[in-house]
Amino acid sequence: MLGVVAGVIWTVARVSIPAITGEAIDEGVIPGDESVALEWTAILLTAGLIQAVMTGLRRYSAFRLALRVETDLRMRLVAHLQRLHFAFHDRAQTGQLMAHANTDIQQIHMVVLLIPLTIASVLTMVAVIVILVLRSPGLAFFALVSLPILNIAATRFTHKMHPVGLALQEELADLSGVVEESVTGVRVVKGFGAERMQERRLQAEASDVYGRSIEMARLRANFLPLIDLLPTLGLVGILWYGGHQVLDGNLTVGDIVAANFYVLMLIWPLRMVGMLLGQLSRAAASAGRVNAILATDPAIHDDKNAHELAPGPGEVRFDGVTFGYGGGRPVLDGLDLVIRGGEAVALVGATASGKSTVARLIPRFYDVDSGRVSIDGCDVHETRLRDVRRSVGLVFEDTFLFSDTVRSNIAFADTGAPFESVLRAARLAGADEFISDLPDGYDTVIGEHGYSLSGGQRQRIAIARAVLADPRILILDDATSSVDPTKEHEIRNALREVMEGRTTIIIAHRPATIALADRVVLLDGGKIVADGTHDRLLETSAPYREVLARAEIEDLSDTLAEPA
Amino acid sequence: MRGGAWVEAVPEETLSREEAQWVIRRLLKLLRPQRRAIAFVTVVLIAQVGTLLAGPWLVKYGIDQGLDDNDPGALNFAAACYLVMALLGLFLGRAAILLVARIGERFLEDLRNRLFKHLMSLSLDYYEGEKTGRIVARMTSDIDSLQELISQGLVLFVQNILLFVGSVVIIFLLSWQLALGVLVLVPPVYLASRWFRTRSNKAYLEVRDRIATNMSTLQESLEGVRVVQAFGREGSFTRQFGDTNEAQFEANLETVRISSRYFPIVEFTGVAGTAVIIGYGGWLSAEGVVTVGTVAAFVLYLNSLFEPVQQLSQLYNTVQSAGAAMQKIFGVLDTKPTVRERPGAVDLERAGAIEVDDVTFAYLSQPVLSDVSLSIAAGERIALVGPTGAGKSTLAKLIARFYDPGSGAILVDGVDLRDATMQSLRERIVVVPQEGFVFAGTLYDNVRVGRPEATDDEVEAALSALGLLERFRAFPEGLSTEVRERGSRLSAGERQLVSLARAALADPSILVLDEATSNLDPGTEAQVEAALERLMQGRTAVVVAHRLSTAARADRIAVVYDGRLAELGTHAELVVQEGHYAALYAAWSSHQAQPDVA
Repeated sequence: MLGVVAGVIWTVARVSIPAITGEAIDEGVIPGDESVALEWTAILLTAGLIQAVMTGLRRYSAFRLALRVETDLRMRLVAHLQRLHFAFHDRAQTGQLMAHANTDIQQIHMVVLLIPLTIASVLTMVAVIVILVLRSPGLAFFALVSLPILNIAATRFTHKMHPVGLALQEELADLSGVVEESVTGVRVVKGFGAERMQERRLQAEASDVYGRSIEMARLRANFLPLIDLLPTLGLVGILWYGGHQVLDGNLTVGDIVAANFYVLMLIWPLRMVGMLLGQLSRAAASAGRVNAILATDPAIHDDKNAHELAPGPGEVRFDGVTFGYGGGRPVLDGLDLVIRGGEAVALVGATASGKSTVARLIPRFYDVDSGRVSIDGCDVHETRLRDVRRSVGLVFEDTFLFSDTVRSNIAFADTGAPFESVLRAARLAGADEFISDLPDGYDTVIGEHGYSLSGGQRQRIAIARAVLADPRILILDDATSSVDPTKEHEIRNALREVMEGRTTIIIAHRPATIALADRVVLLDGGKIVADGTHDRLLETSAPYREVLARAEIEDLSDTLAEPA
Repeated sequence: MRGGAWVEAVPEETLSREEAQWVIRRLLKLLRPQRRAIAFVTVVLIAQVGTLLAGPWLVKYGIDQGLDDNDPGALNFAAACYLVMALLGLFLGRAAILLVARIGERFLEDLRNRLFKHLMSLSLDYYEGEKTGRIVARMTSDIDSLQELISQGLVLFVQNILLFVGSVVIIFLLSWQLALGVLVLVPPVYLASRWFRTRSNKAYLEVRDRIATNMSTLQESLEGVRVVQAFGREGSFTRQFGDTNEAQFEANLETVRISSRYFPIVEFTGVAGTAVIIGYGGWLSAEGVVTVGTVAAFVLYLNSLFEPVQQLSQLYNTVQSAGAAMQKIFGVLDTKPTVRERPGAVDLERAGAIEVDDVTFAYLSQPVLSDVSLSIAAGERIALVGPTGAGKSTLAKLIARFYDPGSGAILVDGVDLRDATMQSLRERIVVVPQEGFVFAGTLYDNVRVGRPEATDDEVEAALSALGLLERFRAFPEGLSTEVRERGSRLSAGERQLVSLARAALADPSILVLDEATSNLDPGTEAQVEAALERLMQGRTAVVVAHRLSTAARADRIAVVYDGRLAELGTHAELVVQEGHYAALYAAWSSHQAQPDVA
């Protein structure tokens, strides 16, 4: 590799410079021989040029390699994360995953970077030691004796700084907490005149920060001057011992000057080795974490013999399905459910009754513990994942839209979809009107950094998105809960449109939304406890009435109707 | 003394010359109290740098006096002095670090307290005009950026300047001819460093930009991973990330290209310096103008000429960031609170009668309230009702003196709020906000916000008065239970109860209540209602009502519509009037009509 070769040449050039200088002084300056001095100067400049060019090359290769490794690793990690199953993402927090993609990979990058640079440093050290020893063991001794201590001191310093550094970070975080609280809760603070109280709290935190910072300063004061002193001791030794050797005729002045140079040349490599050790342990921990993710197999994937999804009207069957999240307590317990093609069924139940779970098992976001879920007679476990997912259109409870144009959001399932389909889907969902009123119409960018839409508008775009690919099954998971009840009827109209001729599963608790369905299934404790039309269940099922009533209380909104 | 951080803080804003001078002047004023210590430390630093500079000179002495003249005694003397200098340098270095740290950290601590105190004194309009994140950043990331400068940068800065200046002086003293020859090389190093600084700053800003884009693509794909998988878009999202990932790589590589051009130049200049010394110095030595020792000393001084230039260039970024941070901080310190206590302020009485006298108020030149007049008797419960943005919340804030009216006045028991002491104001008028806000600490501490000097017994008495004592005692550690930041251990309802307890502890004569809009579980809802009733007993209550059921129960209702007081009267009176209130009530009650299902 180019970098390695450049590194070696660089080391050779670098290490030769003090020797050349020494010779120049002995042969040129001391005898007063001008031409010799100039000759040596030329050699010096050549060596310097080689060193300079090689430094550029070796740095570039080392950094480039480290960057490449970092970039590729991050790519792998992210690609893998995208494919991991829901259960994994349920456990992992976005923030943590971001930290892995960022900080952990950064640590690995640093190590990859340090390694070639450290190798060059080690080579330098070895070369210098050899040169000095060959010239004069005594001089080598005096010059180098204090240097191992430097390495030890530098390593110990980094070691001790780390916990104190972390402690300081914590204190700063505490202080930040008080500030954040005081600013976010400023109405309370001002409302009760509690400013002095908060000031006292801050004073305590500021004092803690002071204490830790002084602790860090003390560490620096103990180590850094020492680290600076040690090479100087070497220089003193060179002057004294080397000087006497010159007087005895064993060494030359040039040797002394060269030795000075060499000692100074060793400082940085010594500290570098210390840094590498520290970095290695941190990088190892990071690599462990990244590897853990990469080693996790996506639990939901295609079986070897996965076959296509048979065509059909979109009949959904649950046969004796038992399922618990993370293999824990079963949320569904031997559930049997049949939804005929084109039928609209409302799933109702209290929280944790299993209704959302039913919705998540159909597109096979999780695998059942026992029993089977099938679409048009095909077990979703044995069918191609792509087909299963395409056959189900999903509107989640919390609408997630991406930072992209309205058009791209709607065409999410099929990026190649012609504008006609987008338009059609938008019309079905009753979204076309308001979209056309947006500043850039369908090309308006929405999402976090884009145009702000109301809850109802977002839901309608989500509905359009769900129906674009014309799925045979539509699942609406609490699709109206986040919407203002007075606007809800608009969504309901849209829903009625898209539900035509499609198997639809509605998870809701508002009677008006439930009324959209042909049939209502009441779930409790993972089993079906009632099944029939909304009116029949109101009459016959006390649990049903209870669930609806409780839901309504939860829902009692505080909207003040706008004056007509 | 090689610094060299792998990742540097790149300043986004740089100060102009006048701005920088202004910041420095203000800074010096803040540092005045510590000027003696600063003077002392400067002396220590000068001495320390002196010991560093002595080394090469002693080598010269050793070579010229010791070796040339064949005098072992002189050699020993030189070596001994060198050793003494080195040890002296150790102690002085230690002292310098400790002293600078103490001065710097003291300064930071003082700045933190001062800035926070000032922030707390600012009125609500400041907080509503700025984003929370930015205000917090003043106290945290801005002051933290100063920390870096103070803990390391400052010492290095001064040392490097002294080192450079000292070296220049000494080499001139040794031989001005050779010195000139060497100093010719300093400008190129300086220029190269400056070029590097500007180019790499720009490149790093680009890197930061691309990292932000990359990470935000990643964050979005992780947050929306369920949607991505539901629609089978894993592949395309991965490709999209691939693009931003490569973009980040390219930007980083650019910075590497820049530094790969800079470092060779610097390294070569170092060698060139040595070459000049050997070549030119050799000639001067042959001419008898300089001694060998001088040449040797020059070679050794070369380091302390070039290193400081590079180090200072590296420090440039740290200094710029710190300067920008200081400027922002001074900006805050210069902001004056708009709602202040006047000299000669009097304490408010305890009766609790409120007079709103022809009040007009505008916010950011948008009129919010116009000519509102209202008399509220002591002990009366009045509900403010009206559509969002009509001005009812603003009226409540004016009564609590979070803002001052543009014209007109608000009087409590005959005293204009602007003439009242802030202390008595906060004691007599208490605001219970919409959402219960809880601080990190125990439940005792949280309720104590109402009256910080209250004892634990008084806290319990306040809870008991609202019928809440048992409920709070039921917590794992009772009232000493630690509540985490933002009250994450408490439910929304419980946070409301804490809020009410604070008000009870404060024992005000006037309550301003911004009714909670979030829905609570039925059990807590009942307790909140009951506690609220008890709290309002015997006190004047101004309730910003969001639920008409609350308004209906008040003694009187004030309908605020379009910034004016549209209707005023009891529920019965207004329902019949067929005005705004009647219409609101009709619409609300029809929405409520559902078959009784319980």
